[in-house]
Amino acid sequence: MNAKQWSMASLAALVLLTAGCGKEADTPEAAGSGDKEMKGEIVMWHSFTQGARNDFMKEAADAFMSKHPGVKIKIETFAWPEFYTKWTTGLQSGQVPDVSTALPNHVVEMLDADAIVPLNDVIDKIGRDRFYEAPLKEGTVDGKNYSIPLYSHAQVMWYRKDLLEKAKLPVPKTWDELYETAKALNNPPEVYGLSVPMGLGDMMATRFLNFYVRSAGEALVTKDGKANLTSKAAIDGINYWVKMYKTTSPSGSVNFKVLDQATLYYQGKTAFDFNSGFQIGGVETNSPKLLDQIDAAPIPKINANDPDRGIETSNVPMVVWKNSKHPEIAKAFVESLYEKERYIKFLHSVPAGMLPAMKDIAEDPAFLDNPTIQKFSGAVKVISSAVDQGTAIGMENGPTLESGILANQGVIEKMFQNIVLKNEPVEEAAKKAENELNQLFKLYQ
Amino acid sequence: MRPVGRSKVGVALLYLFLSLLSVLAVFPLVWIILSSFKTSGEMASHPLAFFPETFTFEYYRRVLNNLHFATNIKNSLIVSLSATLITIVVSSLGAYGIVRFFPKAGKRMTKLLITTYMFPPILLAVPYSIIIIKLGLVNTWTGLVITYLSFSIPYAIWMLSGFFQTVPLEIEEAARVDGAGKWRVFVQVVLPIVAPGVVATAIYTFINTWNEFLFALLLINSSGKMPISVALYSLTGSEILDWGEMMAASVIVILPSIVFFMLIQRKIAGGMAEGSVK
Amino acid sequence: MNSLRTSFKRWNLTGLLFVLPAVLIVVLLLIYPILSSMYYSFTSKNLIRPHYQWVWLDNFRYVLTNPEFYRAFANSIKWTVLSIVGQLLVGFAAALALNKIPRFSGFFRTLLIIPWAFPAIVIAFTWKWIFNDVYGFLPNLLTQLGITSHNVNLFAEPSLVFGAVLFVNIWFGAPLFMVNILSALKTIPADQYEAAMMDGATPWQSFWAITIRHIRGVIGLLLVLRTIWVFNNFDLLYLMTGGGPSDLTTTLPIFAYKTGWGLKQLGVASAITIILLLFLLVVCMLYFRLLNKWEKEDR
Repeated sequence: MNAKQWSMASLAALVLLTAGCGKEADTPEAAGSGDKEMKGEIVMWHSFTQGARNDFMKEAADAFMSKHPGVKIKIETFAWPEFYTKWTTGLQSGQVPDVSTALPNHVVEMLDADAIVPLNDVIDKIGRDRFYEAPLKEGTVDGKNYSIPLYSHAQVMWYRKDLLEKAKLPVPKTWDELYETAKALNNPPEVYGLSVPMGLGDMMATRFLNFYVRSAGEALVTKDGKANLTSKAAIDGINYWVKMYKTTSPSGSVNFKVLDQATLYYQGKTAFDFNSGFQIGGVETNSPKLLDQIDAAPIPKINANDPDRGIETSNVPMVVWKNSKHPEIAKAFVESLYEKERYIKFLHSVPAGMLPAMKDIAEDPAFLDNPTIQKFSGAVKVISSAVDQGTAIGMENGPTLESGILANQGVIEKMFQNIVLKNEPVEEAAKKAENELNQLFKLYQ
Repeated sequence: MRPVGRSKVGVALLYLFLSLLSVLAVFPLVWIILSSFKTSGEMASHPLAFFPETFTFEYYRRVLNNLHFATNIKNSLIVSLSATLITIVVSSLGAYGIVRFFPKAGKRMTKLLITTYMFPPILLAVPYSIIIIKLGLVNTWTGLVITYLSFSIPYAIWMLSGFFQTVPLEIEEAARVDGAGKWRVFVQVVLPIVAPGVVATAIYTFINTWNEFLFALLLINSSGKMPISVALYSLTGSEILDWGEMMAASVIVILPSIVFFMLIQRKIAGGMAEGSVK
Repeated sequence: MNSLRTSFKRWNLTGLLFVLPAVLIVVLLLIYPILSSMYYSFTSKNLIRPHYQWVWLDNFRYVLTNPEFYRAFANSIKWTVLSIVGQLLVGFAAALALNKIPRFSGFFRTLLIIPWAFPAIVIAFTWKWIFNDVYGFLPNLLTQLGITSHNVNLFAEPSLVFGAVLFVNIWFGAPLFMVNILSALKTIPADQYEAAMMDGATPWQSFWAITIRHIRGVIGLLLVLRTIWVFNNFDLLYLMTGGGPSDLTTTLPIFAYKTGWGLKQLGVASAITIILLLFLLVVCMLYFRLLNKWEKEDR
């Protein structure tokens, strides 16, 4: 590169710099109050790409528009990974929606990017004390609620009744029992005992490790925001999943992401799996005959007499974006989703998969009156009690950016891969991954 | 000629070699076509079965009806055809200009064009999304077409210069003597001669834009405007992965490309070989 | 005055009009991204945060002291060199064979060209499906034949994964070499071989002196283009393996993507690209030097 080119580059830099400054000057102002007749177009992004949930959102938007003739709602659907790429890149150019669904650790990042607005008014209108507290807390900073919980679900253990019966084995309650049972049922390529997913670009291995660590009463992120992969529980957990991978898992599961993992169970190829109530719908679509043979149990414990502990709960919220020109419309639309009848209809679009974010709805006969929820009443009970106690991975101490890094950067997945593929010693690999995570945490401060 | 081309054993070996390669080349296509007609139970339980036990058109029906793939195909057609058209017009002029009027500078130009290839598309994404917003073309096909020009024009110029070089100067001079201007010579004399090459370049450009994935993923925000490659990607990220739908969708996406490729393969190579040998 | 005018005339206004639109578009579409990447590479630009600072060479220091960068660099070179050599050898062999066989040449060529028409997303999906160790064709076949004791997933075996992705890339890229080399072979006048035979040249000698000599220009250009393409290629590898397992297939573009989009460190990612660009410039200069030499020899 010669001097001329360098000077060109710096000239361009100067131009860009000034352009950037100009942009910052005109910060978007909150739109004026338009309480009486709402008018305008809003864009909603959601990630319900398929089936009844997708239809539901369309209907909800249509209903809202016919009630408010001046309003137009444009809906776009993106699968979660795509959704994430879209809004992070979109933020650069102002290409974000007015209102959208989100995942808890997205919310933390959206807050970091100063991209969303508080929704206290919406929550108060719906009834603040109707909501469960834990999910509300996940989007709360300094008393401001930046997200409103839409539904909740929790990870539980799914098993195959028929396989257990045939082998005359009980439902495992401890991790050791699970290992022995999965090993006994392992009969590839017909059925694998339990697949241990470790794919990069997803958080499955982190999730599995978190199960074990949480069941021991520990967490992957310490109170002062440091990664913790070298506690006894973490090392034991890593060893446990490595052993499980080598015994009962298809070798390709090192590359599995969430869908690969779940599909195996949907198709009757694994005896055990971990998932929320969404598992039911998946099995129903893929192999309806298996529907009578599946059930859920709590996540195993280290010792049978350990107390019940919260493991992993996902509370999927909605957010309203700062970029919105019509936040009042966006908020009104969000509010409309929580009208009792409509809300129950929404929850029933994935029966037993989406549990209410509001206490009164959970006990409402209208909500319980659904064939799937009744058929799987046992599983629903297991999931509901798990929902109560758990948090998102790494959010045991409230919403932090660390939890997002833990889930999104694939450090733990890579650690597992290094152990099972390159035979790295467990403690060494854990130490290395812990350092790497802490380094990444620093990058974000 | 080499003896291997003469002896019968040699020829038989060549056929064997080519047959093996062909099986490898074709197998994935055949496999997804066959699989797209199998039921999901069959795919899971008989991984080695070649022909479907029961033919099902269910996946094609679902892909075309429920998933609105028809819309995505239409979107892809609009974007790819416009990008191709602009590319061909601009590049034909450019390539002819380089070959006829700036033969010396042209050498440097082609090198420069190749250099423009060096910038990894992945890092063009953010600058492009900023340009596109400044132009007010966010989430529009126009915006996408503009980004496609960035990679299709350099390649098209390079391919087309090869074809234009094959046009004998004498023909043009003869036309010029008859009183035709430079533009007329270009349109009425030169273009007809290189027409097959132009068509080949056009189809090649079309396929490249048809298959493009990254920019479409990042620059188009509404599913109603998404081209087909991104729609296909969305399928893999949906809540319930349906292998059958994925296969059917893949077949729908590749078949047109394959037909195009078969039509043009001779031409694509023709231009390149002649261009560079000279 | 007069001489200036004629030189303007020679400067060729019409010719300029022909070239102008193309030049404008190429320049406008590439200058801005390149310059802005250069600029960002000196800043702490974050993908989603609104504010950033000028950090001088920090990003380059961060990249150049990062062992992962060197691993990705090594993977990139391995991936590029082996892919290109493989594509060239397979494509060349197929082209020679097609040129020799008396019949069905068109038929085979049509079949062999099919992989080229696959979009990256379909390539990745299809091969993942074939290699899948639960439902996939290959692992089940190998187990059935007794070659493996249990189903092995090629993308999940550290010793095999690189070979597997290379195989897919060669599968995809060889047809392009084949088609282009084949048409170059067709332009070799047959009488040259006859003359060589009369002179008593062995087939091997005439292969080197005539065949290779004749088509090396085409091969050279193909090498330049494909080297750049493979080196910069992101989607194929990303969609097949995502760079894994355990970074075994992480190349520089994937590393840049993970830094820019995963870690959101756009400044660092820009620095990686600039380094990548400089490296490619050097490689291409070497290629061009070789091509120029050949051209002079041919004259």
